[in-house]
Order: sequence, then structure tokens, then C-alpha cells
Amino acid sequence: MLNGWPAGAGLGTMSKYKSDTNGTRKAHSAFVAFGFVVLSVIALLLPDTSQDEVASLLRDSVLRPFIFTQEVLGRRSIHAEDTEDLQARLDSLVAMIANSSTLLEENARLRRLLDLSGRNPDRYVPASVIRAGMPGSESMFLLDVGSDQGVTRDSPVITDRGYLLGVVRRAGATSATGRDWTHPQFRASAMTEDGSVTGLVRAAPGGFRGADLMLLDGVPFQQELRPGVVLVTNGLGVYPRGIRLGVVIEESDKQEGWNRSYLVRPFVSPGEAAHVLVLMPEEPDFLDANLRSEEGPMVPEQAAPEEPAQGIADFGARRPR
Amino acid sequence: MKTPARIWGVVGLLILLHFGLHVSLGFGEGAPDLLAVGLLIGAREVGMGRAAGFGFVLGLLEDAFSVLAFGANTFALTLVGMGGAGTRDFFVGDSLFFVMSYLVLGKWARDLLHWVALGEGLREPFVDTVLIQSPISAVYAGVIGLVVIAISGLGWETVR
Repeated sequence: MLNGWPAGAGLGTMSKYKSDTNGTRKAHSAFVAFGFVVLSVIALLLPDTSQDEVASLLRDSVLRPFIFTQEVLGRRSIHAEDTEDLQARLDSLVAMIANSSTLLEENARLRRLLDLSGRNPDRYVPASVIRAGMPGSESMFLLDVGSDQGVTRDSPVITDRGYLLGVVRRAGATSATGRDWTHPQFRASAMTEDGSVTGLVRAAPGGFRGADLMLLDGVPFQQELRPGVVLVTNGLGVYPRGIRLGVVIEESDKQEGWNRSYLVRPFVSPGEAAHVLVLMPEEPDFLDANLRSEEGPMVPEQAAPEEPAQGIADFGARRPR
Repeated sequence: MKTPARIWGVVGLLILLHFGLHVSLGFGEGAPDLLAVGLLIGAREVGMGRAAGFGFVLGLLEDAFSVLAFGANTFALTLVGMGGAGTRDFFVGDSLFFVMSYLVLGKWARDLLHWVALGEGLREPFVDTVLIQSPISAVYAGVIGLVVIAISGLGWETVR
């Protein structure tokens, strides 16, 4: 033992020093420690589902008070949001709805002309985002809604301004875990707003977390994008069509073969999202039922949309089909 | 006055504060790693096996919020707890310098082990993470640890 890491090690404290002087006891202690190291390695190698179950169990038990506190504080901060800002957003929405009333009528008329059935209403669940702020939790968020509210795995999550935040990875009864677009496994099929160029968007880690960007891959070499072009989801995969992703900044040097890649500045920084909307899954019965067959409708005439459940509302405007 | 009740009371308070700051208040990296500080203080008071178990439990709690690499925090804190208890056989420290060095190196080792356990696909660059960000957060945690030890009345000899 090296006594006295330097001068401060007084003799007075030496008598208080406790150690595993008994050889057997020390060996036993080392054996137990080794056992815990092995257990930690096992935890690291557990399958994803088992890891999720353990994590979920801990979050719903001993850590629940901390999560609940953030939920409460998060709701209060949302309620305390600047009312002028909310009023401005409400005004712009009202103006948008007023301008689109003629479009709705026109759309309905064209659908009748083309003999298309009405679209089924899309829905969402409002939720608060909880972030843990722990090492390793950077791309993860918790939601205060779960399967009781209709949230399922792979439900897309968008911000209150309609920008893509991420996707639900696991849905419990009253809470859910999601991962945002900075996750290394994030992928979203994307296109320009006019649909002329398509590609695949993934995270492009920056030098530090705040500098993370998106990378648009797989753009054909003959198609070129200018900075400032807005990208939206194209409806392939779990994300519905038309969710805004970000703006093209510049061409990336990570191009492969005859494809171009572009760096994209995302519309939303994950840390800023506090209030989000979880998009509900589409009713399977209606997935392929938008088109009527020549003999008549493939499905019975769709009844008037049901009254939305509590916390669930129509979300038609954001999901053009 | 240093008593086991006071030491473990302070350690418990650090753990509560850690989750309170990181989870309840959502401070993220702005808040110090009080879990590592609590573990390092507690590890000097028990044997290697218990310290490793203590680190294992704390790591699991932290990994409950980890979606990138579940188990990385558990692995790191288990080894840090084990190492912290092991230092009793090499150093009898009751000086300010020892306490600061112990806390800073312990926290840095925790970050290094976490980086190693993350795996290649998830790691950020070694220099950025382990050589730049980690030493800063280690000094931050060390200073906060010193303040906690001072104001709690444990004295420098607590960590020994």
C-alpha cells in the first residue's frame, strides 16, 4: 500500500483505515465483484427486446417519480408558453383553413368526377416529450401516452409545427419510448415537395450533438438539388407522406457511385421538442380501399367519421394522399 | 463527523439529485454526473464486491434511459465501483489533492469505459469524447464532489 498520497495522509486517520485484510474475505469480495462485471457484460449483450423490458420495468417503478415530475413540469412550461406566439400561430392556421376551404370543395368535386371514395380521417394523440439527459439516452425520448391512447410501435412522432421528430419504438400502457432522427438507425424515405427528386434520409452526426444534420442519400446523379429545397417524407415506410424533414444545405462529399448525397438542415432540433403529436396508425381495412373498383366501391360507403376520442382529433390537413 | 449513516445519506442524496437534475428537470449535460461522484464516495467505504454491486445497480438505473447501448453505463459503473474500492489497497488519501484526483480520474475512467462499451457504430470520435469533453465533465464532477464533501461536513478523509 502506498501510504500518504502525498503529504495530507495524516497518521491520525491511519487507525480508521478499513480494508479486506482477511485473505478469504478479500478473495470472496473479488469473486463477487467479478460476478457483477460478468452480469454487466451480459446486460450489454442482451437481446433488444430483453433490454427494453428491463429498462421499461425500471422506468415504470423506481424511476417513475422522476419521470412523473418532468411530465408535470413539462406540461406547466407548455401552458406558460407565450400567448402572443400561440395567438400568432392560431391566426395563421385560421387564415390557412380559410384559404383551403375552396380547395376542399374542389378536391371533393374532383374525387366525385374520378369516382374516388372519401379518405379516412387521420388522427393523432397529443403528448409531452420527456428527455432523460443521461449518457446513451441522447437519441431517445419518452412520451406520456401509450397503447391505452392508441399509440403503437412505429407510430410517427411530429412536433406541434408538423416537423418530423422520430418514431415510437416501444409502447407501454400509459407511456411510450421513441427515438428521434439523430439515432444511427433512423431512415426515412424523402422527396422534394414537388415530388421530382426522391432519396433516403438518415442522421449525419456532427462534431457534437447540437451539430447533427441529416444526410439525403440515393439521389440519382443526373438530378441536382439547390440549397434551400425543402424535403418531406414520401409515404414509403412508417412515415406518412408530406411530413416536413428539413432544408438542403449543400452537396455532401459522401456520394457513392452514380448517386448524389446532400446535407440537410433538419427543421427540428430534438432537444427543443416539448409538445408533440403521435400519428395514429391507419385502419388496415381502409389502406387499400381508397379506389373503387369498376363494379362499385371496394368497401361499403364510409360512414361519417366517428366522434374523436378524448385527446384524438382529425389530422387531415397534414397528410395529403 | 464521519459516520456511515452520514456517508450513505450523502450518497443517497447525490443519487436522488442526479436523477432529479437529469430526468425531472431535464438539465442533461449541464448537470454534473452526481451518480459517479456518489459511487466513488461510497466505493471507498465498502469492499470490492459490494462496490461493484452498487455500481451495477446505479448503472442499470441509468441505462433505463439508454436507447443507444443498454448496458454500457452498467458496465462502466460496475468497473468504476470495483476500481474505487480497489484504490483503498493502494492509497490512503485524506488530502484535498487526493480527493480531487480520485473523483476526476474516476469520472474520466467512467466515461472512457462507457465509450469503449458503446461499440464502434455508436462511438463519437475518441479525441472529442474522451480527451476533450470527458476531462471537462470530470473536473466539473470533481469540483462538485469537493463542494458536496465540504458542505456535508464529511471532511476530506471521507474518501479513503
